[in-house]
Amino acid sequence: MYIPRIAKNNKPKLIIAAAMSAVLLSSSVIAADYPSRPVNMIIPYGPGGATDISARTISEPLSKEVGKPLVMVNKAGAGGAIGSVAVQNAKADGYTLLFARVGTHTVNPAMKATLPYKLEDFRFVGVYEINPVACAVKADSDINSMEDLVAQAKAKPGSVSYSSSGVGSLLHLAAAMVLKEFGLENPVKQATHIPMKGGGGAATAVLTGTATFLCSNSSSLASFVKNKQLKPLLVTTAEPVAGFDAPTSKDLGKPALEQLVGWTGIAGPDDLPDDIAASWGKWLATATSNKEFKEKMEARGSVIRLMSPEESKSFINAQYKQFKALVDELGMRVEG
Amino acid sequence: MTLLENLAAGFELVANFESVFALAGGVLIGVIAGAIPGLSATMAVALTLPFTFAMQPITGILLLLGVYKGGIFGGSIPAILIKTPGTPASSATILDGHPMVKNGQAGKALGMALWASCTADLISNLALILFAGWLAAFALKFGPPEFFTLILFSLTIIAGVSGDSLLKGIVSALFGLILATIGLDLVYGTNRFTLNDPNLMGGLNFIAVLIGLFAIPEILAMVWNPKSKEGETQNLGKEWVTFAEYKRCFKTIVRGSFIGVFLGSIPGIGAAPSAFLSYSEARRKSPNKENFGKGEIEGVAASESGNNGVAGATLIPLLALGIPGDVITAVIIGAFMVHNLQPGPMMFLNSPDIIYGLFMGLIISSVFLFLIGSVAIRAFSYVADIPRGILFPAVMVLCVYGCYAVNNNIFDVGVMFAMGWLGYVMLCKGIPAAPFLIAFILGPLLEDNFRQSMLMSGGSAEILVRGPITWFFWTLTIITIVAIIRSGMGKKKAEAVEHGNQE
Repeated sequence: MYIPRIAKNNKPKLIIAAAMSAVLLSSSVIAADYPSRPVNMIIPYGPGGATDISARTISEPLSKEVGKPLVMVNKAGAGGAIGSVAVQNAKADGYTLLFARVGTHTVNPAMKATLPYKLEDFRFVGVYEINPVACAVKADSDINSMEDLVAQAKAKPGSVSYSSSGVGSLLHLAAAMVLKEFGLENPVKQATHIPMKGGGGAATAVLTGTATFLCSNSSSLASFVKNKQLKPLLVTTAEPVAGFDAPTSKDLGKPALEQLVGWTGIAGPDDLPDDIAASWGKWLATATSNKEFKEKMEARGSVIRLMSPEESKSFINAQYKQFKALVDELGMRVEG
Repeated sequence: MTLLENLAAGFELVANFESVFALAGGVLIGVIAGAIPGLSATMAVALTLPFTFAMQPITGILLLLGVYKGGIFGGSIPAILIKTPGTPASSATILDGHPMVKNGQAGKALGMALWASCTADLISNLALILFAGWLAAFALKFGPPEFFTLILFSLTIIAGVSGDSLLKGIVSALFGLILATIGLDLVYGTNRFTLNDPNLMGGLNFIAVLIGLFAIPEILAMVWNPKSKEGETQNLGKEWVTFAEYKRCFKTIVRGSFIGVFLGSIPGIGAAPSAFLSYSEARRKSPNKENFGKGEIEGVAASESGNNGVAGATLIPLLALGIPGDVITAVIIGAFMVHNLQPGPMMFLNSPDIIYGLFMGLIISSVFLFLIGSVAIRAFSYVADIPRGILFPAVMVLCVYGCYAVNNNIFDVGVMFAMGWLGYVMLCKGIPAAPFLIAFILGPLLEDNFRQSMLMSGGSAEILVRGPITWFFWTLTIITIVAIIRSGMGKKKAEAVEHGNQE
């Protein structure tokens, strides 16, 4: 009874009201109400990997700040490319975001010519964790320092090999970069790269003697070092890493290696509005100061370092440029 | 500390309400998750992980191990009942499990799967407790050349699952090998047959191929010819497995368990190849050879013991070396590290109570697997009673959902349907699907390990015969191939004689 009468008498008014609310919804209201529904967070790697665990750990304190559930979606495959493309093509409304990682956003763009996305296609709302990189050999190896390693590579070309979690992974680039820094002119020719499937496989390859050394996230090597199965040769940070009795890049006088660190951050498509990016920057700041979160992350060997959206951008761009220059110099770019 | 003291300390950790509850809960979660196609054991473990952070270390780890074991067994339930494996590990169980359902023996197949799984689980756990150190040292001798020869030998399985015609089996395997090359090249990182589509860069999703190849052709066949099976009555399968049958299959189960233990202790192989290898060995040795693939209970016993034998053994490299053998154990390592425990040789010295507590918990988990599994298979076996008109559309929905859920990618659903049509054509032409699957799993492993070996040696083939392990597998491969050729020639001769007699 009630509804038909209104509809009959006030039809024009209703239409205007509806149109006005539509206009409102489509523009300014979004920012004020954001987020009004759950946010899809894409993890470009499979369940159980380092990125997945890191993402799920931060999602707990973060969803409290955001105020809406964060839906964690694993879209794995092609070294993180499939998940990254999904966010690159998503609407920039802040409801689809990506857990970006050193592999997907600096190493891959620097190395792969046919990658279906570029670093510029993304806008970072923050980086929240840093993973120092460490290089190590098997514990019973007679190589005791980077100098020993490079000397052997020079003396017997082809006798030194390094394992990685695949072509275009951080591990691949890191080993080449470290060898180059320590004076091996052409690491691609003078040392052999043996790609394995996944980071666990890369560490195993050094343990079984398949490869001479590897450079990987310190967190993934920590237990091998503690159990005296691997011997660390260096860590790339300026500060020492707990549990690693090895010289830092500062001790060795190689400041260029400080750029060689892993990281995890959150990014959206490149046209993500400023206010949404700013809100996430704020939420990340509160979430990363959560004590429980810090404890869990540090137990796994990562370093919590929060960067604002602007800081993240300049940090990532600098790393990308350095990697790109190295890749071009060594001819490591993967075409086709 | 002596062994007895260690055991006592471990017992103290496990003998409390929380630990026992965590184990039982874990197995229950695992069985249910494993039974849902698309929700693999890996995913179930990864989703349970965050809940363990707040628990005592031993309780949390036992919960995860419970989920793992339950998940591997749970996957066999849909594999048997609706020809859709819940986890890749149970794909070999389809071969004889589903024909048994068609023969009205659903209960028997599920029962044997459970008994074989629990027996293998127990053997695997005992192997972990007694031989961890020795097996870990063995696993460290496995480099790419050893892997290459092992996988080369495993490829001879194809002859065992080809059915009547070896030629058709090889055709099927070649299809699998070709499709497995799609994706990024391991050594150069270049695109292979990806048509510049990022969705193809990761290769074809394994679950999508698996479901497409086995479940969809059945549905298509039903749609094509809906009346053909109308008169057929569905059997509840009230027949349960008997002790006599268990006794008959016991040798097969023990063999499968040991295959599982060996392959499980070597990082990077996984449960699916182990199940196939156990299946093909059982077929080779069985007096009922002809019945394999047509609903032979020994086939179910072989594949289920093969995949559950892996579960305890993957903890060998994890605990003794700190190496995760597969994705699931990589998640479990995360749980150790959150509690500041570093798996590896030092852990046996630093926290023996945890290690022995885990061992005790594992033994108890086999018992829980048996109890919870018994309830689960009774509940699920009624699926065999559902009329086809309702069951098949429901299976279809499950397949689509399961396939999408793996990676949240609609492209995978397309892959599933494309494989479904390929599978249907193969079904019509009498080409078996199992060789396709084996080639699809093992082909990339064979290629990667061959190329890694070549990188190690700088291109010299000598590395492929570098040690006793490689010689052993080369010998096995040659013996098997000779046996296949001889039996093939024998068959031909027998046919020729028969042919001659008829004339």
